[in-house]
Amino acid sequence: MLIRPEAVSAGAARLIGRMSPLVLFIALWYGACSSGLVNSEFLPTPTKVAAALADLVSGGEIARNLFVTLFRAAVGLALGSICGIWIGLMMARSERFKAYVTPIVGGTYSLPKSALIPLFALWFGIGNVTAIAAVFLACLLPMIVNTYHGVVTTPKVLVWSAQALGTTDRELPSQVLLRSAMPDIFTGLRIALGFSFVLAISTEMIASTSGIGKLIFLYGENGTYDYMFAAIACIVAVAFVADRVTLLGMHRLLRWHESAAADYERRRL
Amino acid sequence: MLNIVRPKIEIRRVSKAYASDHGPVLALRDTDLAVGEGEFVSIVGPSGCGKSTLLYIVGGFLDADGDVIIDEKAIMGPGTDRGIVFQEYALFPWLTVEDNIGYGLDRQHVSATDRKKIIDRLIGVIGLTGFEKRYPRELSGGMKQRVAIARTLACDPAILLLDEPFGALDAQTREIMQDELLRIWLETQKTVLLVTHDVTEAVYLSNRICIMSARPGQIIEQFTVDLDRTRPREELVLSPDFNTIRNKVWLSVRRQALAAGQQNVDPS
Repeated sequence: MLIRPEAVSAGAARLIGRMSPLVLFIALWYGACSSGLVNSEFLPTPTKVAAALADLVSGGEIARNLFVTLFRAAVGLALGSICGIWIGLMMARSERFKAYVTPIVGGTYSLPKSALIPLFALWFGIGNVTAIAAVFLACLLPMIVNTYHGVVTTPKVLVWSAQALGTTDRELPSQVLLRSAMPDIFTGLRIALGFSFVLAISTEMIASTSGIGKLIFLYGENGTYDYMFAAIACIVAVAFVADRVTLLGMHRLLRWHESAAADYERRRL
Repeated sequence: MLNIVRPKIEIRRVSKAYASDHGPVLALRDTDLAVGEGEFVSIVGPSGCGKSTLLYIVGGFLDADGDVIIDEKAIMGPGTDRGIVFQEYALFPWLTVEDNIGYGLDRQHVSATDRKKIIDRLIGVIGLTGFEKRYPRELSGGMKQRVAIARTLACDPAILLLDEPFGALDAQTREIMQDELLRIWLETQKTVLLVTHDVTEAVYLSNRICIMSARPGQIIEQFTVDLDRTRPREELVLSPDFNTIRNKVWLSVRRQALAAGQQNVDPS
């Protein structure tokens, strides 16, 4: 395949354009450290953090802890999404079910889920189950609310058309309702993805012996702030990649949607 | 002239009330109508008279008091014997043109070769060859409605229910679509129930026109249209026969609209 040189230079220019705020941020950070504006004991310089990052990445410790955190976040997110989609769908289809669930959803919606971590630690002990339970609960609510909204706003002419074309009540969710709700479900999924990292890491800080959260907490306790920042940088990078992958999947699956293409362009960095 | 020997559709004393903030509103009251096999019947009336409601009841989408009888059996809900086309197209936006047309076939687990044969034929009929892989958002209004009609025809329903199918199209596209519908009807001899507020459209397409009263809706007058459908449009529309019946229907609808305190009937 031929690659046109002007396309390469245009791509490079765009990359530089995108990177410039990041470069500016690091420059400001460096300036704040070297000018003595902040105590470099508490805010290590970018070079020290970079050195710590190189040390962390070359050792196996970061990868092992990252894997633990990702496992907890992914399992909680998957369980929360599946249950949330099911509950949202049921709420939209059954008035009785909705009447039972609405007070619980409404009551717990604004509750910070991290407040329940000590309780979960008491019930489930220190480790995977507590972290997964906290992530699950945090992911559940945005998935319920967004799925419900998506299913409820399915145009009735779509449902009627499907029925007149031989769709049974059992086929209706998979053939029409959940597909029509897909843009909303993805909105919920992106919110839940963010929550999954927040809850996995905060649970690890309180009730775990492993994971990135625990690592950040320990480095903070020991005062090795350069390593703490390096660990934070790692999880930021991973969360960023996870979000981009979700966005890419959304773009692929929602090609049919009016605003999907525009949305993707707008949100892409 | 068509004789109703055996009615394909029988609507018997159908009434429908809607709940509203100010108590129940009666949309239809004791409506009766019989449609013969292969007949093209239009329901015309002032807006809000419940003509679409009646069509949705025949479709089985809405519950109502009274009976809707198809082939001597009371309906229990929607069925593939009654295809429906809505004004707002109602295509599945996540499916391509060919998958929209194939949707009903997929529900019936039609084999892949038969599916392809039916889709290819219908895409030819609606003149959208080359658009098979497009999504509905990439199509114009007229193209979308062609796909919606093809999707309904794919299941080969005996009855077509059309809910103001060309209401959202511009005047030129509407005429082209009416001619296509007329051609399809002449070829397939399906039983058609069309709801419209366009008097000219009703006269141009139907064997019989039913005028509905203002709410609560009831069929209060019927006109038989005995015109030669094989004549070209301009000849037919400009003929005295056509205009005599068109004027009669228009006056009847207008009386209903005025009775309802409305004057929003399109006299075109």
